[in-house]
Amino acid sequence: MSILVDESTRVICQGITGRQGTFHCERALASGTQIVGGVRQGKGGTSHLGVPVFDTVAEAIEVTQANASVIFVPPANAAEAIIEAADAGIGLVVCVTERIPVLDMVRVRAHLKESNTVLVGPNSPGLAVPGVGTLGIMPQGIFLPGAIGIVSRSSTLTYEAVDQTTRNGLGQSACIGIGADPVGGISVSQCLRLFMDDDQTQGVVLIGEVGGRAEENAAEFLSTLSSVKPVVAYIAGQTVPEGRRMGHAGTIVHYGLGTARTKIKALQDAGVRVVSSPVDIGSVMAESLGR
Amino acid sequence: MFLFEYQAKTMMREQGIPVLEGIVATSEQRALDAARELGEGPWVIKAQIHAGGRAEGHVGGSEDLRGIEFSNTVLGVGQTAARMLGKSLVTPQTTRQGETINAVYIEPEIRSELQIFLAILIDGERGEPVCLASVKGGSQIERDIFDDPNSLVRAPLGATNQIALSVGHEVASQLGLPSSSIGAFAELVQQLHGLFVARDLSLIEINPLAIRSNGSLVALDARVTVDDNALYRQPAMGALASRGDQSGAEERAAKNGFNFIPLDGNVGTLSSGAGLAMATLDAITHLGGRPANFLDVPPVLEVSRVKEAFLLVLSDPGIKSLIVNVFGAGIMRCDTIADGLLLAHLEQPVSIPLVMRLAGTNAPLALSRLERSGLDIQFAPNLASGAQMVIDAADSPPAPRQTDSIAGRLTQWITRAKEGPRS
Repeated sequence: MSILVDESTRVICQGITGRQGTFHCERALASGTQIVGGVRQGKGGTSHLGVPVFDTVAEAIEVTQANASVIFVPPANAAEAIIEAADAGIGLVVCVTERIPVLDMVRVRAHLKESNTVLVGPNSPGLAVPGVGTLGIMPQGIFLPGAIGIVSRSSTLTYEAVDQTTRNGLGQSACIGIGADPVGGISVSQCLRLFMDDDQTQGVVLIGEVGGRAEENAAEFLSTLSSVKPVVAYIAGQTVPEGRRMGHAGTIVHYGLGTARTKIKALQDAGVRVVSSPVDIGSVMAESLGR
Repeated sequence: MFLFEYQAKTMMREQGIPVLEGIVATSEQRALDAARELGEGPWVIKAQIHAGGRAEGHVGGSEDLRGIEFSNTVLGVGQTAARMLGKSLVTPQTTRQGETINAVYIEPEIRSELQIFLAILIDGERGEPVCLASVKGGSQIERDIFDDPNSLVRAPLGATNQIALSVGHEVASQLGLPSSSIGAFAELVQQLHGLFVARDLSLIEINPLAIRSNGSLVALDARVTVDDNALYRQPAMGALASRGDQSGAEERAAKNGFNFIPLDGNVGTLSSGAGLAMATLDAITHLGGRPANFLDVPPVLEVSRVKEAFLLVLSDPGIKSLIVNVFGAGIMRCDTIADGLLLAHLEQPVSIPLVMRLAGTNAPLALSRLERSGLDIQFAPNLASGAQMVIDAADSPPAPRQTDSIAGRLTQWITRAKEGPRS
């Protein structure tokens, strides 16, 4: 069993002909991800990177039987691209696009309530199941198939956690960058559920950030479980002055909620080992697993 | 993007939201005139900066001058304005350097029995705007809510473009507002939501909202943040942004698309990705170091912009060492970082010790270029050792003082290059 992506996952890329889409699809193809087509309105009937390009997601599904999509379209059109994919019946949508207006994502979230589509992102590095496939922009060559599920709100810190768990030999079962925007798809808690239910996953690394309530909710979720795999967490921005914007809309600290202190306390109360420095993620995870 | 109070109130006035008549003043004379135009007094004089907490802030390091002051005389209004203008206001929500006050806003002072906190913002977990309200309006609101989160009334607003009046009615009755003000309050919530959606706001807040004895409402303060990601379709909002006041360095950063925040320490940082940048600060602070800045350089292809990032962080005279923490991924490649540093060094010789932690795409290529550069660089295999190295470098005896002449700087640089990189 694997997380969100397995051997049957057939991926299309919305925005495949753009600079980013081209760059990352080329790498994903080279690493064995099953990218079966692309979508770019006006370029239907052509081919790009050796796969067919379609005008719409619906046409792409009809010809390629795609069941997943990775989105690289510009921010002004990204919300429509997500909705198009969901309406066409794509089960897994990974949206890499950043800087989507938040009210567009409010509309997308309302729309997705009526569908079974799982959205990862936006403003997400995507997800990787080592040895199976990479949807998004995560760098190749840092992963090791293994035992740790990684869920992260921060793109670059995801790589940091991957790097540390590869270097100490634990490896990863799956790595999900849920994206740094205030309104997005899959939540930290939903990812934890997937990891808890997955046989390959023995431990979980959770990378949080100041702002929002994702970590508090995750703590609440963990405390409802009867048995929990070891979870190691790091909250970025512990030393950041409150009320200052650190590059993500999602990291504005509002009204005393969602500070590093409240998050760490909630997670610790739920039995999570919270490391105070990001450099300790890998070693503490290994220790928690008795390695 | 944070609007000034007077800009937010102009927006609200156009929407029909009750705000007081007020006048912006950028000089003592204009402040005196404004007070006379506004009538009898007393007046309130409010510093216009891009941050909250003004009533708790201090102007120009003075103990007795806050960012919001009151006066009973026209002369007092002028004097207060003169003492504020051009000075820096430090509040709990600014950096320790504070923000320069380029304008004050003068309004009649209103006294009211009941002061409400009212805001609409995005609830990320629910994925929709939410209305927050409390009867404990005023500058203590954040503390009150932190101490007692249940004192806050919350109403989810959904994905609609127009909410029903019943939403505001429900909030008003939960707050226990007097019946004479419920109708106006419900209309106000609907108007605020209308602005929120039409102008792509991420926050609209009135704190306090005064409820006068006859039940009428008036917004005494106004705070509006526009969603930066939507500025492309909100040209009027973008135009307001260009009038903002930022420090020179922050303005340079904004122009290049960097996320930059000056801090008070002596260890410079440059990272790619907000998360990694925050982690860099955390790792340094955890080991007892003091970061001089937060700098997140978004993934870029252009070496020239990386060069700008280095020049920006190196322009801080307080930094004693610099750590570069980059995980090459996506379009961000480590060799771009190396080339940017070398270009910056040509333009402005780098005289402080550098610690480079480069991983991911093209890291070996970057390392080989930098090794040959003659710069004082230590290479860190991971963030843990990098953080320790950069703190040690900042604490070591300072390099000879920089002279102002280019020749002087070149001489120093050549001398250092001959000595070779420190181990």
